[in-house]
Amino acid sequence: MAINLKPVDVAVIGLGAAGGVAVLPLARAGLKVAGIEAGTWMDPRSFKPDEIYNNVRGLLTSVQKANREIPTFRDSPSVPTRPRGSVHPMMNAVGGTSIHYWAQSWRLKTWDFRTRSEVIKRYGAGAIPAGTTLEDWPLTYDELEPWYDLVEYEVGVSGKAGNIQGKLDPRGNIFESPRRREYPMPPLRRAGYNEQMAQAAKQLGWNPFPGPAAINSQEYKGRPGCAFHGYCSRGGCHISAKNSTAVTTIPEAVKTGNLKIFDKAHVTRIATGTDGRVTGVTYLKDNKEYFQPAKVVLVAGYTYENTRLLLLSKSKAFPNGLSNNHRQVGKHYFGHWYGSVLALFPQDMNVWYGTPAQATLVDDWADDSFDHTGLGFVGGCSMSAYTERHPIEAAAMDTFGRAPAWGSGWKKFIRENAGRWTQAYIQTNTFPYENSWLDLDSEVRDPLGDPVCRITTGPRENEPRTVDFAQKKMEQWFLAAGALQVVRRPAIGPIGPTTHAYGGTRMGDNPETNVVDRFGFSHEAPNLGILGASVMGTSGARNPTLTVQALAWRTADRLVKDWKAIAL
Amino acid sequence: MRDHEPRRIARRDVLAAAAIIPVTAIKSAAQPTGSVFSAKQKRCLEAFANRLVPADEMGPGAVECGVVEYIDRSLADPAVGGKAAILAGIDAVDAFAIGSQGAPLADLPPDKRDAVLTAMEKDAATGFATGSAAFFAIIRRLTLEGMFCDPSWGGNRNFAGWDLIRYPGPRLAVSADDQRVGAAVKPVRFSVNGGGNGAGHGH
Repeated sequence: MAINLKPVDVAVIGLGAAGGVAVLPLARAGLKVAGIEAGTWMDPRSFKPDEIYNNVRGLLTSVQKANREIPTFRDSPSVPTRPRGSVHPMMNAVGGTSIHYWAQSWRLKTWDFRTRSEVIKRYGAGAIPAGTTLEDWPLTYDELEPWYDLVEYEVGVSGKAGNIQGKLDPRGNIFESPRRREYPMPPLRRAGYNEQMAQAAKQLGWNPFPGPAAINSQEYKGRPGCAFHGYCSRGGCHISAKNSTAVTTIPEAVKTGNLKIFDKAHVTRIATGTDGRVTGVTYLKDNKEYFQPAKVVLVAGYTYENTRLLLLSKSKAFPNGLSNNHRQVGKHYFGHWYGSVLALFPQDMNVWYGTPAQATLVDDWADDSFDHTGLGFVGGCSMSAYTERHPIEAAAMDTFGRAPAWGSGWKKFIRENAGRWTQAYIQTNTFPYENSWLDLDSEVRDPLGDPVCRITTGPRENEPRTVDFAQKKMEQWFLAAGALQVVRRPAIGPIGPTTHAYGGTRMGDNPETNVVDRFGFSHEAPNLGILGASVMGTSGARNPTLTVQALAWRTADRLVKDWKAIAL
Repeated sequence: MRDHEPRRIARRDVLAAAAIIPVTAIKSAAQPTGSVFSAKQKRCLEAFANRLVPADEMGPGAVECGVVEYIDRSLADPAVGGKAAILAGIDAVDAFAIGSQGAPLADLPPDKRDAVLTAMEKDAATGFATGSAAFFAIIRRLTLEGMFCDPSWGGNRNFAGWDLIRYPGPRLAVSADDQRVGAAVKPVRFSVNGGGNGAGHGH
């Protein structure tokens, strides 16, 4: 029998990038919040500049939940699942993956929220990619803007505005949608490589700008600026300059006295009454089962966890899984498509140090910033020239056809060139398709006996064409910056588990095709809210986290405002 | 914290396992003390790694840098996995060397060792469960990890790997000058788990 806990107003499942933000407005409003987190607090003194620990083995996590339920993946229902890796891209902790992410924190654009309408308006209905289930979002950029602003200031984002209320500034991203004010901190320091790439972009007539980051460029709210030590990717920040929710919103929420954190608590089910309203959350802690009753439940795990938990939580009211009577849970899933180009330079680039968010970005070829007539695809890519290179990764470099892969000839090559190559990160506007979804695996289970999430990702044409287009632009950019040689990697469709995973509980007005409404609450279980990129119906050509956080805060504000209607 | 939990557990398990195995059993298996490799496997892997990264005027070879020690310790960690497949692959390398060149890898002269490795790299060597190129890639990858890891993992001895590629080393704080294109950054040499010429990382 589960041990019954004292009821709370709101149970938030997962204190990562999304749940870790949502608890703050809830706690400030005086609601009693239970933050139920599979992981626990991590000590910043345990974060280390160690490539094996962080990157090769992915040991930075406080508990092994994620690694025990790594999703399986396959290309279609008619082929077997592929072998799984042993390291999940996400981690468990108070703060979740915001502890070891790259912290690139930019907003989506007006176009991302209205892609279907805008594509039809400019290029005709025939330009909509075949097989896509793309819909306009139920909210506009302008409606979300106030929450983008709130998160940027509360969490702390460094950057340079390119469009303040319609006034363009070429030092920032002139393609961004209007923002109400400047970023709270100036951009991260520029590395020599950033400057070199910015200059080259300008020579090409493009509009480079410094990447916005949830990393302090100077002291902010009592935490120091970034030290650029070069072990940020998949590593925690030893000086708390990276603004994970573990050092920003969660401690603020704890201060109110209204957030109680239940850590090392592995949620197994969400309970539902016969009336279709959720009643609380069952979790395991130290091999004991607990039941946390709550008036409202917010699911705030990672994309794969959100879909999986709903599908596992079957009841009389929801025999196919919670909020799944319309069979939409798991649908409209997609991993972010991306591309990569490598460049070899004739001098030491000194990108060893820095952080991946210390980037020069170009948005000229993203979204609908250019005319797509005759190109055969819609959308585009952002392109990033960034720093941070670890020694194993550096030595494992492509030899650009200039040396053998081992022996003295190879040694000579890497001695000269391990510090002379860089890699661009190209992110695509990615859309959902009918042939791609999440469900429960029919065979693979976690140690508790529950099936893991299964990813099915079928082929598509729009995204590979987009990547191909952007990679040619990237090559042009590198060569303009003085690269000796460039190597293009094939377009990469993340058919397996990825850090940029969207959909599964999509947000939209139509309950036939969406799981949550425009405020993030279930169409079917009215006191269930869902937070995370699992509600996003398009990716944007950029990182998801800031949008996830703005949406999470907005859902929490809605709950506070409509508490009586939602909580009854 | 001088070490991290998974490694500590792995070591404890190895010690516990060793304690209950009679000394004679260890001798009959001809295993170097505490090693996952038989003596034969170890010789083969050493010969292999030293062709991937030979000692030359640019610095020491893989074995001297601790690469085999690194791989040994990795495979002893159950969390890393792949041990059985790698041991079988090493045996396959020797079998192929005997079949194609007439002797185990370690007993061949350098040019014949290279012939074995080249055949594997081109996926032309027989006797490998998932193909010789795939196994070649695994050993090459592990060799890279052992050459360029933080020395606390057993490899990159005396920071020879980092010296080879001119990696300036982990430092607590990095100046704008350290990030200039073409800057000659003075190397800092210390392990995150202690040791070296640096002041440490503030742990």
